[in-house]
Amino acid sequence: MTLFTQIWNWLIDINGDGHGALQFIITFVFSFGFVMTSAAVLVYLERKIMGFMQDRYGPLHNGPWGLYQIFLDPIKLLLKEDVSASVTDNVVFHMAPMVFFAPVIASFVILPFSPYLTTSALETGIIYYVALSSLDVIGVIMAGWGSNNKYALIGGLRSAAQMISYELPLVLSLVGVVMLTSALSPACQGAHPNLAKCSIGSISLSDITVQQMHPWWLWFVLIQPLGLLLYYTCGLAETNRTPFDLPEAESELVAGYLTEYSGMRWALFFLGEYGNMVIVSSVATALFLGGWSGPGADLGFWTSHIGTLPGEIVFNIFATAWFIIKMYGLLSVFIWVRATLPRLRADQLMRFAWLVLIPLTLANILILGVVLLAIPGITLKLVVAGIINWIMLAGYIAFLGRVTGVSPVGRLPKRAQARLRVPEPIKALAPVER
Amino acid sequence: MVTEQKSTWPSIGPFYEEGAEGFRTEEMILNLGPQHPSTHGVLRLVLKLEGETVVQCTPVLGYLHRGIEKILENRPYMGGIRYMDNADYLSPMLNETAFVGAVEQLMGLEPPRRAQYIRLITNEMQRIASHLVGIGTYGLDLGAVTPILWCFRDREGILSLFEALGGSRFNVNYMRIGGVLHDFPPGWLRRLEQWLDQFEHHSLPELDGLLTGNEIFEGRTQGVGYIDPQQAIAYGLTGPCLRASGVSFDLRVDRPYGAYREIKVNPQVRQEGDAFARYRVRFQEMGESVRLIREALDKLPGGPISARVPVALRPPRGETYFAVESSKGELGIYLISDGSEYPYRAKIRGPSFVNLSILPELLRGHKISDVIAILGSIDIVLGEVDR
Repeated sequence: MTLFTQIWNWLIDINGDGHGALQFIITFVFSFGFVMTSAAVLVYLERKIMGFMQDRYGPLHNGPWGLYQIFLDPIKLLLKEDVSASVTDNVVFHMAPMVFFAPVIASFVILPFSPYLTTSALETGIIYYVALSSLDVIGVIMAGWGSNNKYALIGGLRSAAQMISYELPLVLSLVGVVMLTSALSPACQGAHPNLAKCSIGSISLSDITVQQMHPWWLWFVLIQPLGLLLYYTCGLAETNRTPFDLPEAESELVAGYLTEYSGMRWALFFLGEYGNMVIVSSVATALFLGGWSGPGADLGFWTSHIGTLPGEIVFNIFATAWFIIKMYGLLSVFIWVRATLPRLRADQLMRFAWLVLIPLTLANILILGVVLLAIPGITLKLVVAGIINWIMLAGYIAFLGRVTGVSPVGRLPKRAQARLRVPEPIKALAPVER
Repeated sequence: MVTEQKSTWPSIGPFYEEGAEGFRTEEMILNLGPQHPSTHGVLRLVLKLEGETVVQCTPVLGYLHRGIEKILENRPYMGGIRYMDNADYLSPMLNETAFVGAVEQLMGLEPPRRAQYIRLITNEMQRIASHLVGIGTYGLDLGAVTPILWCFRDREGILSLFEALGGSRFNVNYMRIGGVLHDFPPGWLRRLEQWLDQFEHHSLPELDGLLTGNEIFEGRTQGVGYIDPQQAIAYGLTGPCLRASGVSFDLRVDRPYGAYREIKVNPQVRQEGDAFARYRVRFQEMGESVRLIREALDKLPGGPISARVPVALRPPRGETYFAVESSKGELGIYLISDGSEYPYRAKIRGPSFVNLSILPELLRGHKISDVIAILGSIDIVLGEVDR
């Protein structure tokens, strides 16, 4: 028995039958290829979009519109020398990129690109995702510590504080969606809802996607816009993107925990970060933007018109395309934010997480819970919850400046306030005629 | 293995102290620079940190010392102009004006009126260019990547105009003792007006919208790096740093020179004294400069662009001090002439160097992020600090 047949049999064992094994291979290759290429594509996109926003061209010389840059960047990184200083903590230093990168790849398992292209429709999808996303911080701390560099150490510690703080609102902002799935679950509806089962929502990404398809435009972003905004904000912090890019704050810490890395080790961190962005956007797409739903992604229509197998293939192509389009829409917002905003300071970052985001997510959960329990009828529930959430969103945006400005650093020191009362500028010197 | 290395840092007391309950906390010494993305050149700051808070800051200067003052003493007066370009390399026109002004004052020479107006126009253009770099890099220091590219885009227009005027974008070498090198080439004034319109009506509001109202930008700068007016005067600050602390002192107003005696400047003063105020003063000064250029263009007189000056300049024996309001503050040139072709002594009073002296005082108690925010708000140019 060859190695290939052994693997094939093993795949059949865990997937049930040959079709399952084939599906596993296809989805695995697709997901893995996607994570590997998405970083390179995203870098190109980022450079192009930011170039557009900053009145410059971006990549231009390699191929049409500089498109070869996508392939040339990874090649360059692979060929570069891997330098490590003699005083680094060798084991920690060399393990850190892998520890950082592994959870990112593992997270791709749960992404429901389409009903067929889902490597594993885990029942505990959200928990799995949240758990893996919080593992990244270990790699960052290892990199910061192992580099034996002060900038790296500060960057690593900042990152630890930041990722741990923003993990909480990130999870809490997803709870609203889970509550909505429980309200929409069949046990909860009808004239006599089964209250014992009613409280059970779904935390599987695939299930939640499917629940947003009756009708196909009923995406949870319509009912939970504030949830999406809060989740997205936390996602920015989780992926160390502007305005929360303190761990690698270029102008302060040179490159933060990446300072001592070069070549492919550096590229692994880079890949991990961009992969993280893709995952954050994908989860937002699946939970808030209806995942793969969209015009044309209709299985019944295609199978009845062009046959079962071609119909399924066309349907899955449409579904995957919709998922990727929505995801890249969110990713371009990442890039837009980066081109617009400066960076927060460490204490402002913490204050924002603990005093603004966490109370808001908790209030969101509380209000949604009250509405879902108190109001009868599923349509009325959703409408009222949606209206309240849109009002909360408007209020949050209107008062965002004021809540972030609450920090004492936003105010003037007392000496400066005293100075403000002086009506006229001081004349230092009388004018001298020459 | 980490080996103990002999420290070349200045001695700054005990390295650690015993904390509560047997925990030992160590102060960390962080060497910020000379190779660092946001020290605006090759400034080195030795920071003693308690966590992320700065306990003590020791600036180490001299990495860009090129001996410009000594070079000036070893060149004929006319040959020194070109070296002044390299002092504050972001505002060469202003440096040249200061140097030629000092020599003219030494000789008792008055350049023709048209030359003085040309100097005013180029000086104000240079001020805009320098402030654009200051604001752009300040945005970059705070993590905003777009302002610098927009600023450099607009600055490029000024540099192209300088190229048309003097033949070089950066080290223009345009001022001459007794006047300027060339008159405006044909079509130059039209190009300048186009650039002014574009800058005033598109670029400035755009930049304003991106930075000024931004909550994060305000949160990072307001109340940070507060300078008391008395403190500012005591440290000898000049320029936007002084005016942002509520002291109305502008050499163009208080000690007017050249065409500034005919064109009145409204000094831009703010009361807050923090980093945000310094940024705002620079921003308002750009608008004021645009107004000044327009006014000078309206009043632009005809006539020669240069007084008749002998080829071998021999100013009479004596000494003089002449200062212009540079983009960073009071840029003074002190010259001693012994009657020969070479200055006996030349001294540059660089505003960046004097403004930098307040940094250790300002940084104490701030976080590392604020170090960058404060350093950027002072807007130094290391070429002028080290000379």
